[in-house]
Amino acid sequence: MKIGFSRISFWGCVAAIIWTLGIYATVVRFFYGLGAATHLSDSVPWGLWIGLDILVGVGLAAGGFFITAMVYLFNLKEYQPIVRPAILTSFLGYGLVIITLLFDLGKPYHIWRPIVMWNHHSVMFEVGWCVLLYTLVLFFEFSPMALERLGLKKPLSLMTRSIPFLVMSGVLLSTLHQSSLGSLYLLVPDKMHPLWYSPLLPFLFFSSAVAAGLAMVIFESYLSSRAFGRALEFSLLVRLSRILVPVVLLYGIIRFKDLAGRGVLGAAFSGSQESLLFMAEVLFGLVLPIIVFSIPAWRNQRAGLFLGAVLVLLGFILNRLNVSITALVGSADVEYTPSWMEWAITASMAAAGVAVFRLAVKHLPVFTHQDTQAKQVNPPLLEPGQAGAGVMAGLGGLLFLLLMALLFGLNRKQAAAKSLDGEAKPLSASAVLRLPAAIVFEPDEASPGRVTFHHQTHVDPTRPGCVSCHATTFRIRPIKSGQAGTVKMDSLYAGKQCGICHNGEQAFRADEECENCHSGR
Amino acid sequence: MKSAILTDLTRCTGCEACVMACREINGLPRTSENHRLNAHTWTAIEHHQGIPIRRHCMQCEQPSCVAACPVGALTKTSEGAVIYDAGRCMGCRYCMIACPFSIPKYEWQARIPRVQKCSFCYDSALKKGHEPACTAACPSGATIYGEREALIKEAQQRIATHPQRYIPTLYGLTEAGGASVLYLSAMPFEKLGFPATIQHKPYPDLTWQELSRIPTMVSAGAAFLFSAWWIINRRIKMANESERSSDQTA
Ligand code: SF4
Ligand code: SF4
Repeated sequence: MKIGFSRISFWGCVAAIIWTLGIYATVVRFFYGLGAATHLSDSVPWGLWIGLDILVGVGLAAGGFFITAMVYLFNLKEYQPIVRPAILTSFLGYGLVIITLLFDLGKPYHIWRPIVMWNHHSVMFEVGWCVLLYTLVLFFEFSPMALERLGLKKPLSLMTRSIPFLVMSGVLLSTLHQSSLGSLYLLVPDKMHPLWYSPLLPFLFFSSAVAAGLAMVIFESYLSSRAFGRALEFSLLVRLSRILVPVVLLYGIIRFKDLAGRGVLGAAFSGSQESLLFMAEVLFGLVLPIIVFSIPAWRNQRAGLFLGAVLVLLGFILNRLNVSITALVGSADVEYTPSWMEWAITASMAAAGVAVFRLAVKHLPVFTHQDTQAKQVNPPLLEPGQAGAGVMAGLGGLLFLLLMALLFGLNRKQAAAKSLDGEAKPLSASAVLRLPAAIVFEPDEASPGRVTFHHQTHVDPTRPGCVSCHATTFRIRPIKSGQAGTVKMDSLYAGKQCGICHNGEQAFRADEECENCHSGR
Repeated sequence: MKSAILTDLTRCTGCEACVMACREINGLPRTSENHRLNAHTWTAIEHHQGIPIRRHCMQCEQPSCVAACPVGALTKTSEGAVIYDAGRCMGCRYCMIACPFSIPKYEWQARIPRVQKCSFCYDSALKKGHEPACTAACPSGATIYGEREALIKEAQQRIATHPQRYIPTLYGLTEAGGASVLYLSAMPFEKLGFPATIQHKPYPDLTWQELSRIPTMVSAGAAFLFSAWWIINRRIKMANESERSSDQTA
């Protein structure tokens, strides 16, 4: 493994910057609370961490259960070389998901609560349990790499023998929680945009996670083959892409059948912010990858395969962000742009994932099969002489820019258009408030004249603060039933009744300007 | 007895006495925000179409929030209140997402935050059979407390006797599968800040359909996986053996 010094220090620097920001954000998050570190609010209780770290993270880690099932249950031994990297990715992925969850939970030290406090009616409860158990399964699936390294033969053979059962439970648990992450949103049919709410969410989440998991295996095998100068199991990855394409197609067909069946396909072309983000999701996750994978000249070379996988991943990320953020902020009529600290934590987690993966590859037997195969060190990104390769690289860059522009630019709502609906129109005073009729206080013999109280002159009809008088100083029911007692000037002078305000501060003094009230009318 | 609150929006003057009473009894800080729900305002007077609208937790009969909570921190009591136990809560905020009325609010600024919402004065009143603070404070009788069945009758009678005063909807009768808070109004509710669309069956059914399938799915899945693995494994073994025996004969 030969990595240039300059390359290490460049990526090292990037990681150092990200982690510095991440540590700062961590301190703010845990000492000053979620409100200080994030842009979350009562209208947007779930943001970037749930959308990107949890929903995307869990989906990307789906490669593990799929590949292990192919190899250990269905005996497709040719995929053996990518089993270990896939398990490692999944294990790291779930580890990072759990760590990010600690940031997102209001009370991270209660994360274990679902283990003892059960609510089997809760999808969240089920997801929690499945993620916990599956992380354990992954730990055991991963352990042979460490045991092999440590030379512990006994436990190693025990692990090897129990692998089929681990894999079976892994498949079951993954199927459950990958789909249940979608079921979480089944509870909110009214708050979610119809382009994303669907009774089929569990299936859609599951199938897209399988696609993303496979794409992730291609993506990461490709990158690590370059980074570690390893022979790329290229024919294997091509074969994997042949599984990926039907999965993506199936997902796409069901997705559109569902939209059409619910009659909301029109909303996809309405030109609204949601429709644009939907189209971006479909373009990246469905249309472009299928084009890339269906052209043999592209699919059968490294750059094409890589681009296809990246597109599937981008489409997947967009989909999960759309489900968790776009689809919900619309109905809440708010904006949400993650704070830089939210980004810093997310980036720190991703950087940590890459770093730990590198360490593991360096020190553990992850890529065991490379040694027996012919070495092909550092394959060039573009195979010379292949037409269209350069074009595709350019296209890839362009797409990425476009995606970023969509994500950030469109996030700003057309505030002006929105602000009028839902807002209260200015009140038109009397018609609205039904203020009580005038109240007449008949004079006794010492009084300079009759007093008539008008609510109109005492209440700001746009902000009626009735409680400043009612239920405390002047009780309404006794007044209505004529048992209110009387208003005495002495008590006014003592700062009671009308005198609370008529003291020269809030209103004119009660012992001056008698005729203001005693108008005799 | 199933308690309930009936709020007749045509009688509400927007005086905010309920808001103040709620603050007082629940020891909430006297912030100036009376017009929008937040962690310190459990009932608010919103203004829509120039009409004051009292909002608070609907105390659903089969609450979405209760079904959502992974640790059972939210429960529906037999008296009708939906109450929250901060000691159980882990702060996942799924209840906030799940509530169709977007009622639960969060203490975003706190280091150890809680979910906050109207609890029907469960501890201070309802448990002892008393009336909650807000209805007791209402000077105009716009929001009243009583037995749910009786209040439904009362409301339906009001609609029947004043058909020109009310729209013929008793909100909360079937909304979200029924709620312990009922509303009468002169205007369609979706114009008054209530959700634009609302299901008329209990929300938890939506996820229970999935969850209740899990045992079957798991056993069927396990059976399928195990038999597939067993069959494939056996065939490999047999193939190996026949290979070996043919080796030996050769
Ligand atoms: S209104 Fe919302 S918070 Fe209140 S009981 Fe219903 S679902 Fe729960
Ligand atoms: S935030 Fe607390 S009360 Fe709400 S669902 Fe999560 S654990 Fe339950």
